[in-house]
Amino acid sequence: MLAAQPIMQLRGVKKAFANGTVALRGVDLEIVLGEVHGLLGANGAGKSTLIKILSGAYPATEGEILWHGAPVQWDSPKAAKAMGVATVHQHIPLVPTFSVLENVFLDDNGFWRRPTSLRTRYDALCDRMGYRPDPDTLVSALSIGQQQMVSILQSLSTGANLIVLDEPTASLAMDERDLVYQAVRRLSQGEGKAVLFVSHFLDEVMALTDRVTVLRDGAVVMTAQTHDLNESLLAEAIVGKPVAALGQASRHHSTAVVGGTPRLSLRNLASPGALRPISLDLARGEVLGVAGLLGSGRSELLHAIFRADKRATGDVLVDDKPVARSTGAAVAAGIGLVPEDRNRQGLVPEFEIWRNISLPALDGVTRFGTLDAAKERERAWQAIRMLSIKASSPDILVTDLSGGNAQKVTIAKWFFSDVKLFLLDEPTAGIDIGAKADILRLIRALAEQGKSVIVVSSEFEEILAVADRVLVMRDGACVAERRADETSEHDLLLLAGGQGNADAADTHYESKDGNSQ
Amino acid sequence: MSAQEMKSVETLPKATPARPRWGKIFGLQEMGVYYALALLVGTLAIVTTYMGQSNYLSIQNMSNVIYQTSLIGMMAVAMTVVLISGNFDLSVASVAAFSAVAMVANAATLGFWPAAGLAMLAAMALGLLNGAIVQFVGINAFIVTLGTMTAVRGLILLYTDGRSVSVSIPEVTDVMKAFEGGTHNGYFALLVASLAMLAYGSWAFARGIAAGQGQQPMTLGLLLGGLGLLAITWASGGELPVRNPVIYLAIFTGCVWFVLHFTKVGRRLYAVGGNPEAARLSGINVTKYKLLAFVFCSMTAGFAGILFASRLRSMNPSGLQGAELTVIAAAILGGTSLFGGAGSVIKTLAGALLLFSLTNGFNILNLGANWQGLIEGCVVVAAAAVYTIGDKRSKSKTGG
Repeated sequence: MLAAQPIMQLRGVKKAFANGTVALRGVDLEIVLGEVHGLLGANGAGKSTLIKILSGAYPATEGEILWHGAPVQWDSPKAAKAMGVATVHQHIPLVPTFSVLENVFLDDNGFWRRPTSLRTRYDALCDRMGYRPDPDTLVSALSIGQQQMVSILQSLSTGANLIVLDEPTASLAMDERDLVYQAVRRLSQGEGKAVLFVSHFLDEVMALTDRVTVLRDGAVVMTAQTHDLNESLLAEAIVGKPVAALGQASRHHSTAVVGGTPRLSLRNLASPGALRPISLDLARGEVLGVAGLLGSGRSELLHAIFRADKRATGDVLVDDKPVARSTGAAVAAGIGLVPEDRNRQGLVPEFEIWRNISLPALDGVTRFGTLDAAKERERAWQAIRMLSIKASSPDILVTDLSGGNAQKVTIAKWFFSDVKLFLLDEPTAGIDIGAKADILRLIRALAEQGKSVIVVSSEFEEILAVADRVLVMRDGACVAERRADETSEHDLLLLAGGQGNADAADTHYESKDGNSQ
Repeated sequence: MSAQEMKSVETLPKATPARPRWGKIFGLQEMGVYYALALLVGTLAIVTTYMGQSNYLSIQNMSNVIYQTSLIGMMAVAMTVVLISGNFDLSVASVAAFSAVAMVANAATLGFWPAAGLAMLAAMALGLLNGAIVQFVGINAFIVTLGTMTAVRGLILLYTDGRSVSVSIPEVTDVMKAFEGGTHNGYFALLVASLAMLAYGSWAFARGIAAGQGQQPMTLGLLLGGLGLLAITWASGGELPVRNPVIYLAIFTGCVWFVLHFTKVGRRLYAVGGNPEAARLSGINVTKYKLLAFVFCSMTAGFAGILFASRLRSMNPSGLQGAELTVIAAAILGGTSLFGGAGSVIKTLAGALLLFSLTNGFNILNLGANWQGLIEGCVVVAAAAVYTIGDKRSKSKTGG
């Protein structure tokens, strides 16, 4: 890299909130044009706060921001944008009822809503990025990955020189991540822009960035050229102590109980347009991994098992007893679902940690027909300690928790009743590596206690680390089934989305389907 | 995991309950409606004394205000339940009027109690209709109840042919008088209630000190409430007229408060309003809870309608028109969220009292009804502003 003049410099930036929380304790950061700068850190390390300061959402309490070498003080996201800083936030703020075109040029100040010149500009923009979604599709009809690309296009339409990407790949499947990687490479190498790339994925940081800054507890603990680093060094810097690699967990002994009544049986479970008929048995103490890309029907499978899909047909049996078609019946039968989108599907924003945790199992905290709040709080304390949730008390609102800690709350909900079957939908999405390892260990611990677990993940490495058996899904159908110790990440990738293996997989699916009927 | 887990919960050292954040609890957002009510009553008391008019704080006047609040207060409490469940009901006043008409029109032939039962059933059927359209067809509750509000009013006109209905049979009117107009001396009941609150509050206070944990907000509420009631009891000097509707309101609000705060049904109702999808995926039957909230609201409206008709012993087809807005205003003054998941029936009641204290103050000060609408409207918007600004501030404090 050239020792160029940094486009943005932070000097001793501090941020303290009115409630006493200190999020940043003096951060120095230099971002150079033409460079991809990785920003890493555990949940709560201060990444989001730093980004909000860069994008003008928060003012810094102390410290200096230099833009092209001159100190600046911006007080609104609009001012930051006008200077040339574009931020693509983790939760994509697009207008779902607008078309792609309208979203991309959302803050265009023309009088007309859809001037024809926009189309030529749109085409030029898409040419630059080598990606062209249909401009007239409504954003609500796009997948999360496509929406992410639209918001990247949106940030480019303002002609920014520094593009901040806040965990752009957290909720994306493998092939969709490639789109983002290509976009980042084009931006930095092709156009000479500066990119600040925030991520939890060490491999993509290693592959994509030129320089890396690691935050821990609000301070920079490492800044280095990427080629001087490796994943384990990064992981150490993030966690602050050497971590056992995820791979170690894969040397587990299967705890599946052979023979006996299966914990879960599916009989031709299907959902029109989303899930093709699937039949399977799951043993007690077995962990089943579901590998599949976004839109492969993996979440639909979990929702159908949980009886949350009203259009689903076929039978679900827990311990040989059929489960009626309502989520209440599923909970009563001992099924617990940790949904993919924790904010939209998992948590009640008005509730504190303790009221969220006791929600699915209120019977256990009832005394003479009334709720015992002390008991509920004790449960929440228990969960906080057991899963090391970073919260000073159960009375914290879940909206004030960081992503990983909120996720732990959605899992802890199910620990206080007799849940025999856990359905985990992307339990580690957007979570730092320490918390990730915690959750994987937890899954194994559950299996050792004889619980059965179905875990869906885009990270096939994780699936291999925890699962006894792996189901591969594509286009709403189960295309393959493998023992975890007889397959590899590479195989799973090919089965789930690889074109080369498509024919073989199709045959496999057909023979399987034939058998089940 | 659970069996072992639960055992280890028992053996764990007792976790200390979080120390409440008093600054937030006594902030405008949490307690604003009580401050506003105290401020208004205080101002009216001073002004009336200064102008040499009858004492505003007299037991006579206070019990009058509470009596005037009772009908709207009851409906506002039920409206709060619907709002908590994440819905909205504009049709309350129409349903109340329909119930009133149904009761009056049938009381002569059926007798009071069967007619009242019939009216309640009709009201509940209307609530079921509202809920079914909202939940099963999926139309926004505002639109559905805007429609039923107008349609039910039309139904009343059809039913009565646009004329007032009334009862004049003595057997029926006597029951009505007893049902609505009965007055009791609330001295002893209030004395017992205040002493019980003080006793329980002191016990909780002592326990808090013994455990060295600091005090919970409810303890303080009990002590303050107990002292307040005791002061009223003492000021009344043994004569505390309480009319039936006030007793109904107190019992009703107490029951709803208890259910919302201490039972599974209440917790689930808040969850259903706060995030229906999360509630559904926690195994809660969201449709059932939302539907029942509508039925409950219309049932309460039906009861209020019966009280209203019993008071007048006749019913005008346009009676109670516009009352739904007062009902909703009371709930908003009490800080109930229009987006579901948050609200308190006690604060709603304080909101209703605030609105009727205003009206009463205007009458006492002879300010004329012309000013009333303007002031009331401003109060509602000011209250909403306090809640909204407070909400935003508390969010940004914690860093989003």
